[in-house]
Order: sequence, then structure tokens, then C-alpha cells
Amino acid sequence: MKTKKIVSLILASMLAVSSFAACSTKPTDTQSSGGNEPVQTGDGKEIVDFTMFAAMAGKEKNDGNEIMELIAEKTGVRVKETWLTGQDAGEAIGSIIASGKLPDLIDGGDGSVTLYQNGLLVAWDDYLEKYPNLKEMYTDEEWDKFRMDDGHIYWANVFGNSYDHNTATGHNGEAFWIQVRVLEWANYPKIQTLDEYFKLLEDYAAANPELPDGTPVIPYTCLCEDWKYYCLENAPMFLDGYPNDGCVIVNIDAGMDNPKVVDYNTTDTAKMYFKKLNEEYAKGAIDPDFATQTYDEYIAKLSTGRVLGLCDQYWDFAYNIMGPFATPLSASDGTTFRLDELGCDYVPLGLTAKAGMKQQWHSYDDELNQSSGCAVTTSCKDPDLAFAFLSALLDQDIHDLRFWGIEGVDYLVDDQGLYYRTEEMRENWKSDSYKAKHSCEYSYCPQWMGMSKDGINRMQPSEQPSEFYEGLAEPLKKCFAAYGAQTYSEFLGSEIVVNAPWYPLWSWSNNISSDTPGGIAWKRMGETKHLWLPTVVMSSDFESDWAAYQAAYAECDPQAFLDEAQAEVNKRLETAKSYGWTAPV
Amino acid sequence: MAYNQTVSFDKIKHKKKMATEDIIFTILNTTFLVLFAVVTLYPVLNTLAYSFNEGNDAVRGGIYLLPRKWSLRSYHEILFERPGIRTGAWITFWRTVLGTLTSLAANALLSFILSRKKFLFKSGLSLFWVITMYASGGMIPVLVLFRYLHLTSSFWVYIIPGMVSAFNVMVMRTYMAGIPDSLEEAAQLEGAGYMRVFVSIITPLCKPVYATIALFVAVYHWNAWFDAMLYNRFDPQYTTLQYELMKLLDSVSATTGTSSGAQMSQSAAAATITPMTVRAAATIATMAPIIALYPFLQRYFVTGLTIGGVKE
Amino acid sequence: MENSIVKSKRTKEIDVNKPKFTAKEFKRQWILVAISAVYVIYGIIFYYLPLAGWIIAFQNFVFAKGIGGSKWVGIDKFKFLFSDKTFLMVIRNTFVMGVLNLFFSTVVAIAFAILLNEVKNRYFKKSIQTISYLPHFLSWIIVVAIVHDALTSTGIINDILTRLHILKQPYAFLGDPKLFWGIVTLSHLWKETGWNAIIYLAAITSIDPCLYESASIDGAGRFQKMRYVTLPGLRPTIMILLLMNMGNVLNAGFELQYLLGNGLVQNVSRTIDIYILDWALDARNMDYSLGTAAGIFKTVVSMTFIVVSNYIAKKKGDERLF
Repeated sequence: MKTKKIVSLILASMLAVSSFAACSTKPTDTQSSGGNEPVQTGDGKEIVDFTMFAAMAGKEKNDGNEIMELIAEKTGVRVKETWLTGQDAGEAIGSIIASGKLPDLIDGGDGSVTLYQNGLLVAWDDYLEKYPNLKEMYTDEEWDKFRMDDGHIYWANVFGNSYDHNTATGHNGEAFWIQVRVLEWANYPKIQTLDEYFKLLEDYAAANPELPDGTPVIPYTCLCEDWKYYCLENAPMFLDGYPNDGCVIVNIDAGMDNPKVVDYNTTDTAKMYFKKLNEEYAKGAIDPDFATQTYDEYIAKLSTGRVLGLCDQYWDFAYNIMGPFATPLSASDGTTFRLDELGCDYVPLGLTAKAGMKQQWHSYDDELNQSSGCAVTTSCKDPDLAFAFLSALLDQDIHDLRFWGIEGVDYLVDDQGLYYRTEEMRENWKSDSYKAKHSCEYSYCPQWMGMSKDGINRMQPSEQPSEFYEGLAEPLKKCFAAYGAQTYSEFLGSEIVVNAPWYPLWSWSNNISSDTPGGIAWKRMGETKHLWLPTVVMSSDFESDWAAYQAAYAECDPQAFLDEAQAEVNKRLETAKSYGWTAPV
Repeated sequence: MAYNQTVSFDKIKHKKKMATEDIIFTILNTTFLVLFAVVTLYPVLNTLAYSFNEGNDAVRGGIYLLPRKWSLRSYHEILFERPGIRTGAWITFWRTVLGTLTSLAANALLSFILSRKKFLFKSGLSLFWVITMYASGGMIPVLVLFRYLHLTSSFWVYIIPGMVSAFNVMVMRTYMAGIPDSLEEAAQLEGAGYMRVFVSIITPLCKPVYATIALFVAVYHWNAWFDAMLYNRFDPQYTTLQYELMKLLDSVSATTGTSSGAQMSQSAAAATITPMTVRAAATIATMAPIIALYPFLQRYFVTGLTIGGVKE
Repeated sequence: MENSIVKSKRTKEIDVNKPKFTAKEFKRQWILVAISAVYVIYGIIFYYLPLAGWIIAFQNFVFAKGIGGSKWVGIDKFKFLFSDKTFLMVIRNTFVMGVLNLFFSTVVAIAFAILLNEVKNRYFKKSIQTISYLPHFLSWIIVVAIVHDALTSTGIINDILTRLHILKQPYAFLGDPKLFWGIVTLSHLWKETGWNAIIYLAAITSIDPCLYESASIDGAGRFQKMRYVTLPGLRPTIMILLLMNMGNVLNAGFELQYLLGNGLVQNVSRTIDIYILDWALDARNMDYSLGTAAGIFKTVVSMTFIVVSNYIAKKKGDERLF
């Protein structure tokens, strides 16, 4: 009897679900059947569906996304993007290769070279000549950096590439950040060194131990999780005034044509920096959970506005705390307040080892990362169409659709032709669900930063000066005014230099394989630092732990790594010279 | 009362001792179980609270048993705004139903064979299956094999390869071996073949273990997403519910990401973190159907269904 | 000569139950044999064929060249593994966590099942059981978030301990290598005890109620019944699960340790699977050969455990796998 009941229940629910699903999935079925079969649109034009995989975390667009359809009508191509889920890039690329079923377009991330080695990518060379939009992305010298050992180009990095000139308003890179209310409280002092920075944080915390809702403040925190421990480890490089080469300092005291690789882990500045952190930790000025917190906990902490200072790269924390900072909260006295209006927004400080030094926390030029990018696979039945599509994405009208949206809906145009958004439009573009059904950036396909081809606007709204300034909270505007700055980069005040020909070296160290002694050393150095850096900061006997750390570090054979880094610098220098680069006097 | 007085003094003392022992045990046991339940219930309630909280507010943390700021947004987002959720639910439903039925049948039959004491190849066949539990060629060879068998880009990859599970077979076999041989022998004397014995004698007695294995398999199918990604990555018509939810839940990939020093594009970085509330809602939405199924199976292994029929 | 006679005698003694292989017996069982054959074909296709992939552990495998074209390197990959101090360390970590987990999860799940079985009230029993297995459905991401939350300097554990004056100031539990294995084991228990108990609860139902009755008649108390009826009744199930899980001690996990670990505890937190992820599945240097070599090592160890424990079980006359 019981069994009968269960069976009938299952059958009944099957029927219910099947009828429900039958009517609801039909319309999408024809759309999502994938492959390259063309589908007739209303006006008789054929739309081809492509698939794209990016070996990064990301959010899928809804089927029938409005701007995706508009772009499809104009270009004849619709792309279904898929992202990394539960695997890392290596596993994902490996399993895609083994399954034999590739997407039409791919950004293999760290796995790009594997795709190339397996002969799965289509060379760009011929299509570059055919599609000037694509060719225009880089100079010949830059394109040459993308060439693989067979002499062909297989992908183009799509990020941080400015049309006309770099118009960045923000500082996307690393800095010691501080809440504007702290600076305001101290009457906007000039902060140049670690000592001044921590003194100010401590003083402020002593005078203002709590937020209006009673949350106690934390003077300083630092993320150490996994690869994001750069927040802790690479400051000595910047403190000595060097740019973000990521893995080493490249010393040019002997001239630009005689660069010398230096390890920033063993410098006096490194010891000074960690000793300072150690003292501050002992004083209780550093978050006691800094060494064990996860990224989620870190973001949660920052979102409460209780952290006064931190060292990180902008993109790593800023976007995730914007929402919470703009949300009204209730204070313990019953009034409501918002964290951004309270002055909890962060501004970057370009600290140096000694006061008065020049620094390069901000890089004004584009940084070319040739190690990965957008590629077309050999599984694509119509590569010419794929390249035509990538090229069309760079047409100004389509580029505007991707990043600005639909005129009148997502942005307005004033008499001078300047694009702007209303508060509501800006809020829309912050909402994930709105973006999922409406906006379609094709964010891993070719794109521009910098000036728009109309000469008035910027390619992307985040760089439009008016948009940028309108988006700032009052205390932040006040702070900028107090220091006479209009943008984050001006506020940071880094030295303006032309990028060295080897810069940025992280585009090499990110892709170093553990095939070579240097690669193995690099990995072991990372493991050692992960263990020892938090240990020395929390140590009750700094000197002896520092010595133990340096000994453990030396055991990893860092010299093997430095040698390979030096070789890479020399190689890049030679390449530049072959294009007529000469050392500036 | 009168009756009690006639019982010997010794026995009364013994009974009393037993009774107090019993009461103390019941109290302690109940307390312990209640405590245990509270401790295990907490994470679920906590997740529930998060799922009903407003997203931006939840990022601040500090939510325990009740939401701070009520919102149904997260449920709305996962159930109505995500592409592929409906297709995924449909596929998951079918693979759970078909997968559980086929797998249960396949495992039961193999267990039946392996539990026959007179079966000639008992040891050999057992070893053959035990090895499959520990030796694996790894992800890549399996992928290549499935590709040649045309199992990739198909629904059947969910059903066929995982049909027989050595673990489940061993559990079932042990249970079946516990059923007295006398039943089988009696039936065979009456002329019943092995298949008759399996269907009409063993199967009815194995309800508790069938229910257990059915639950295990159903939960496996309901929660499966890795196979959907591995074998049907670019075939959205075969996506599963959990794969669609996993795309939301996944923060592991975001943290393993790329390497130090790199600067990401602004548009790329802005899209990474999935709100905790959406993760929580996805978890609860996944748990609900399985929890609903549970009471139907639970009766078989909690209410002490006995195999009294065995005794003659 | 003498030796072999003794040997054959012994085997005979052990395999008293084993049927003689005769044509008649074979004919009687033909249906079982036929069905088994189908299962064997199925098993060969889906489990044994992919083992051919083990070949690549002895190569420098590159996809483009395939198994045929990749360079042979002999046992170089194994040499690399066993000359790496880190690999030896992760073997230790994996093994210890695997054994701790096996031991405690078995004991606690059995205890829980038996205690639950003693409850008389049906509804109470059902509700407790339903609640107990719920955490099984939470992903490790969520469970670790809760564990983390409880153990930070402002978390509930530190809060209670400082209030009770057991600790003077908050303790960094998550950064202490000595505590890591304990935290991992407890997290496992928390998440999986109820779920693991399901099998035992099902097995308890198969115990003949007459045994309890006759035990009662003999004057056995509650504890004696648990000790002399329930536990022996569970014995075959316990043994079979123990045997099977014995082979899994080197599969102590990946996700939990990965999510819960941090730089300070990396020397005790990293498992073989994490090591493979770090060194073999690195996107910049996908070394499937190294990953496969580590996989083979795991399989060999597992099979050794299984064979040895199966042999012991056989000797002791217990339930065994094969």
C-alpha cells in the first residue's frame, strides 16, 4: 500500500512538472541549442550563435539579454559566455581539451599557452590585415610581443588598452588606503611614511573608538589569503620607490640600459616594514585575525566601515564595499547614517621608506599583459565571422552599446555631445540582476579604455570625468579638494615616468612554470613567505624570528629565480632595442 | 498491590534498580540528543536567516538565527532571474528519478549475486568491484573514453557510467547476507529459480537497505553538478540545477584565480563576488526537495520495520 | 612437500563454505554467471579501461602529442614526488587526518545510531534524526564560513572562554597548527554524523526482535542489550564499512582543508589533493603525469590497506570484502 502511494505521488509530480516545464522551456530551447546553426530572425537576417569560455569567475547573462539581442542584430552574432565553476583555470582548460568540445571563442587565462601548444587556436595574423579595427588595438611592436614561438599571434589581451591616451581617473593598483574621515579629523595632514601613517591611525582610533552604531574600529587590517597575500608581502617594493613589477625590484641606478634585478624580500626596507607591522601588532593596532581571515571575512569587515586603513589593490576591495557603504544604517541614538556620507571611503597614500622620496605606486601608462587574451578556436566553424564579430565589437556605436548602454535608457547626451547618467541609471548599472537581463559587455572580448573616437567622451563610463566626480560622496570630494586633487591618481601623486621596456615583469612571473629551477624556487619562496610573514608580524621576538625566516627563505634558492628574472629583463630590453628603443638620458 | 506483595523482595529491588537506571538513562539520552540536534540545526538556521536577509546588509556579517533586514530578493533572483534554472531543474528531476531507479536495480541485482554463498565467482567478482572503488584513471582518460563512447554532450552520461557503485553494492550485500538461507532453500525446493528468489523473497525483506541506498543515490543525483560541467559544458540543454546554482555559489574559483600582482580589468573585477544571501538561498532551495522526500524513506529505517517474516 | 600439504589443508579449513567448481553447480548457477558477465563487461569499460591512462605517469605527457607521442621519462615523476620534502609532509597530513576522521566518525555515528534507537517516542526520534542529517546538505563553503565565524577573535568560542576566565585574551585558534587537525575532525563530525548514522540505523532494523526479547527474559538491562544484542547485530555492517573506508584514508579531502587552511597552518593543513592542485594542475604548467603518479601512489596504498585488513578480517572470521 505504502509503496503504491509513493509511486502514485512520484507519477503525479512527474506529470505536474513535465507539463510545467514543457510549456516553459520550449521558447528557450531553440535559442540555447548551441552550436553554430544559424537561426532566422524576424527580418530574414541569419544570426549565428557562438559559445565563449573565459577561465575566470564571472556572471552569465540571461537568455534574451536586451543589448545582446541588439548587438546580434547589428553583427549577426550572438555569444553565450560561460565562466569558470568549481575548477581552476588549469583543470578547466585540461578537461575542455580532453572532452574534445571547444567553444568558438576562448580566453584561456593561465591556460592559454596550453591551448596554443595543443594547436587548438586560430592564428590572428591574416585576419589582422583584414580587420583594421583589430589591428588598431596595438602597435606592431606590441603585437610582436604576442607572437608565440612559431611566429604567429593567437590572442590579444583586451584589458587596460587605451585609445588615444590613458584617461584613468581611478587608481586601480596598490596603495596604503586610509578613510577620508581620518584625514579630515587630523585636518588633512601630509602623510609620507609608515610611522606617520600608523601614528595617525592609532591617534584617530584612540579618539574615535566606535562608529555611530557602536561597532569598534580596527586601525589596520591586511589580507593574507592565498595569492592575495600580496597585500602583506610586496609593499617593500613600493616603499623603496619602485613600480609594480610584482616579483622583483628592477634597479636602474646604473642606467636604463643596465638594469639589475634585486630581491625586495631581503632589503633593509623589508625588515623595517615588517618590524613596524610587528610593533603595531603588539600595540593592538592591527586586526588580530589578519593572518587567518578569508576574503569574505575581509570584505565583511571593510563593509562595516570599521577598518581605518589597509594595504591592497583597489579592484580587490572597492567594488564589493560600494553597496554596503551606500546603505542607510541606524545609529545607537536612533538616527540613520550612511558610511560613505560619514567619510568611510578610502583614499590611496603613496608611502615611502623615507619622507620626501619619489614613488611609483601608480602607473600612468597602459600595462601590456601578453600572457593571455581573447582567442578563436579551431572548433569554430566560421573563424572569419568570429574575427569580423570581434572587430565589429570595436565599432564605436557597438562599443558604446556594450559599456554605456542604450541612449535614452542608460545614458543621456547633453548639448556638447557629452554622455551622462542620472542617479537612477547609475543605480541600475550597479545592480547584478539588471545587468544580467539588460547589459552585455562581452567583457573578455576586445575593448578600449581611454578617449572615445568622438573625441569628447571616454570609452568606458568609469573614466568619464563628470561621471566619476558625480559618483563621489561629499566627504571624498572635500578631501580631494583639500589636497588639490581631482582624481585618485592625482591624489596619490606618483612620479610620472614612461614605462621601462621590461615593465611589468609580473606578466612574466605570473606565467612562470615549475619546469625550471627558478620556477620551483618561486613556488617554494611563496610557500615560505605564506608561513613566515604572518609569523614575524605576530612574533614576540622579532629579531630571532626574522633571522629564522631569512634562513628558511635562503633555503628556497631565490637566486635561481632572480637569475631567470634577470634573463627575462635582458631579453625584453633586447627586443625593445631591436625596435629602436634607446635609454632616456 | 496485593500481587506485588507476593513477589519476592529480591526481585522488587532488582526491578526498582532497573527502573531508576532506565529513567536516568532516558533523561541523559534525551538531553544529549536534544543538544546534538541544537548544534546541528544551527548552521541550517543560520543559512536560512542569511537567505532571507537583504544582500548589502548581510555583507556586514553578524547574522545568527534571524535575518536583520527581511528580503525575498535572493530567492527571486535564483528562481526567476537566472538563465538555465528551469532546464536545470527539469534535467535534474529526470536524472534523479531515472538514475535512482536504474542504479537501485543494478546495485540490488549485483548485491544479490554477490551475497549468494554458493556463487562460484564470489571472491573474484567482489575483488573486481572493490578495486573500482580505489583505482581511478583520473579525470582526463575518463573524459577521452566518454568522448569515444559518445557519452559527452548527452543526457545518458548522467545515468549510465555511475549506475553500479561498489560502495552501495557492498552495503547491500552485507544486508542480504544477513537474511537466513533457509528462506532461499525453501523456495528453491519448491522449484523457484534465482531470479524468483531475488524478486519475491529477498527484495521485500530488503526494504530498509533499499530505502537507504535509494536515498544515497537520489541525493547524489540531486546534488550532482561536476559531471554536467565536465561532459556538457557547452550544451546548456543538458545543464543540471546544481550546476546552475554552483555558478552562483562558487567562490573557490574566485580565490584560486590568477596570480600575484596582476591587475584585473575593472569590469572583470566588479563581477566576481556572489552575495552571501544568494548563496544561502541557493543552498536552502536545494535542500528543500530532498528534505521533503526524506520522511517517505525514513519510515523504513527508523520505525524499526522488522524482518519478522524471516522467523518461522 | 610437507609445506604444501599443510597449506592446502589450511585453505580447505578456511573455505569450508566455498562451493566446489563442478559442471553441475555451474549449470545450476548459469543465470548468476551470465548476469555477472554483463556486470564484468560494464566494469571493464567504465572502470578498467580508463586505467590505461596510468601510462602517462611514466611520460612527460602533452595533449598535442598524445600517449603515443609523449616522451618517456620512466619513474622520474615518482622520483620527484618522493624527493620532495613537501610531498612527504602532505602524505603525513593526509594520513593523520584520514585516520582521525575514520576513527571518530565511525565511533560517533554508531553511538548516535544506538542512542537514537533507544528512544521510545516515535516523533521525537524522527525529528532528531531529520535534524541531525541536515548539515550534510550544506556545502563546505558554508560550513567553513560558520566554523571560521565561531573561531575568530570576536567569535562565540573566544567570547565564552574569556567570559568564563578560561582565557585571558582571545586566542587565535585558526592560526595554531596544533589545533588544526582537531578542528578538521570536529567539523567533519558536525557535518556528517547524522548522515553516517543512516546506514547503521537501517542495519539495526535487521536485528531480530526475538533476540531482544530473549535477552530481556534472561534479565539483561538496557546497556547489556546494547552491548550484547545491538552491537553484535551491527558488526557485519561496521566491519564492511570500516574495511571500505580503510582504503579511503588517503582521500582525507581537499575542500575542507583548502578552505580552512591559511599560511600559518600550511604545514599541517595541506593534503595530497591540495599538493596535486598546486604542483600538477597549475594552469601554467599542467603536469598530468605528476598528478597521475600521485594518483597511482594513492591507489597502491589504498589497495594495500584493503588487502591487509581484508586478510585480518578473514582470519578473524569477520565479514570481509572479497
